[in-house]
Amino acid sequence: MVFPTLQFILFFALVLVLNGLVWSRGTWRKALLIAASYTFYAAWDVRFLALMAGVSAVAWIGGLVPSRAARIASVAALIATLALFKYFNFFALSLQQLLNATMFARDMQWISIILPVGVSFYIFQAVSYVIDAHRGHITPRRNPTDVFLYISFFPQLVAGPIVRAAHFLPQIDAPVVPDAAARALAAVLILMGLFKKMVVANYLSVLLVDPAFALPEGQNTITAIAATLGYAVQIYCDFSGYSDIAIGIALLLGYRFQRNFNQPYRAASLREFWQRWHISLSTWIRDYLYIPLGGNSGSVLRQTCTALLTMTLAGLWHGAGWNFLLWGFLHGAGLMAERVLRPRIRLPQAIATALVFGFVCLLWIPFRAADPAETVAMLGAVVSPTGFAPVDLSVTALVLIAIGIAVNWLPMRWLPATQSALARLPAPAQAGLLASGIWLMFAAAQDGVAPFIYFQF
Amino acid sequence: MTENAKFTATLIAALFAAWLLSGDRFLDLVFEMVDLGRLDDIVIEGAVILEDAKANLGLPDIFAALRGVLHWVLGV
Repeated sequence: MVFPTLQFILFFALVLVLNGLVWSRGTWRKALLIAASYTFYAAWDVRFLALMAGVSAVAWIGGLVPSRAARIASVAALIATLALFKYFNFFALSLQQLLNATMFARDMQWISIILPVGVSFYIFQAVSYVIDAHRGHITPRRNPTDVFLYISFFPQLVAGPIVRAAHFLPQIDAPVVPDAAARALAAVLILMGLFKKMVVANYLSVLLVDPAFALPEGQNTITAIAATLGYAVQIYCDFSGYSDIAIGIALLLGYRFQRNFNQPYRAASLREFWQRWHISLSTWIRDYLYIPLGGNSGSVLRQTCTALLTMTLAGLWHGAGWNFLLWGFLHGAGLMAERVLRPRIRLPQAIATALVFGFVCLLWIPFRAADPAETVAMLGAVVSPTGFAPVDLSVTALVLIAIGIAVNWLPMRWLPATQSALARLPAPAQAGLLASGIWLMFAAAQDGVAPFIYFQF
Repeated sequence: MTENAKFTATLIAALFAAWLLSGDRFLDLVFEMVDLGRLDDIVIEGAVILEDAKANLGLPDIFAALRGVLHWVLGV
């Protein structure tokens, strides 16, 4: 079940009504939201409900057990589960290719494991729950429904934001009735998210990005750059759009998530980019991987190794493929280069922002490409003045790129200002505006709904 | 009625009105849903009744018209 569908609207309308009816009954409210979340997940594949329940059970037990060894074992079990479901196929294929390249070539019969949607997100939440309990940042819950709801809460289940237990668990006990300001913010975020996803990201994908990346060797400099820019806008609008909708629908149910994107292409350094892009993942990696590995301490060599390892693993989190490894590694290398060069070279803000944007866009090529060969072909097209089959650059695609970049550069005050204006309206007018906006977005959208890019992670 | 209840009621009523003025069919959605076993028959029957009621109203498909205009403006 994907957010921008009539199916989800029907589902959410029902949950919203029932949530209002059981608002004052804590146990019923939790049971309702767990049931709704499991129904939401079952719409993809009912077989993986057991996996999600198992992950939740391991996190719940891991949080409660007093011994350090048992907690480490539960984290290891969670990471092993992620590795099995997400990386088994990749490592099996890589091993097969390695064997084929040697004298030990043989056709091995591997089982193929289906990737459960959102598995990286909810396992990361489960891991952070156990570690936070171990560190004393949260009080582990005795009631399993609290942990099951935390892991499975449907607005953030399949593509984040990766919510921290310390932020979410207190809200389970006492969700806040959405007031006029919360409803206004929810409406703005939902409509903005739908616009970014259904109009900007989906059309850019169909009109420009997919055709260009389907035949990268046929592109020329202009179409290759346009496709790369198009993808930079598409992935931003796709993923931040999802986050906006997730935050908005959670708000309507009485729960607040922290923001996941903060106009990332404004960043004047790579470090700043990662403080603005997929914030919930960046902070997760910082707190549970980078700092425990040594962080900014130790020699320059050690810091470099830590940054490279962390970012390479962050790349691998996005997908089981060499292109994602390369993408993460190069971001790590960029961060280290920036750390060394920044004290020596002072650039004007505009030039630094342009350089960072260019670097990030360049690295979107391996991220988007299906394999290293496609990456090389697209990079070759960037420096090739002619192509034998360049895509048609439609005005619509160029306008959508401009709109996507403009969205990233909206004045910082636009959101509070819009929220404030909407908050002054009576509740029925707010609802009418939201419903009309949803209708308009559905009308503007293309037929069929492309899944969100981050679902595959 | 609280402000929040008014918001929810209006939102659902407005979305229902939007469905009435569109050519989208509940029935198609029902067939896309997870198999609900014995409940399926009841859900399908309910959807058929709703679709029939909507068809009997004879309301125009404003959604399709709006969609046509927007797609023309967008050049897609």
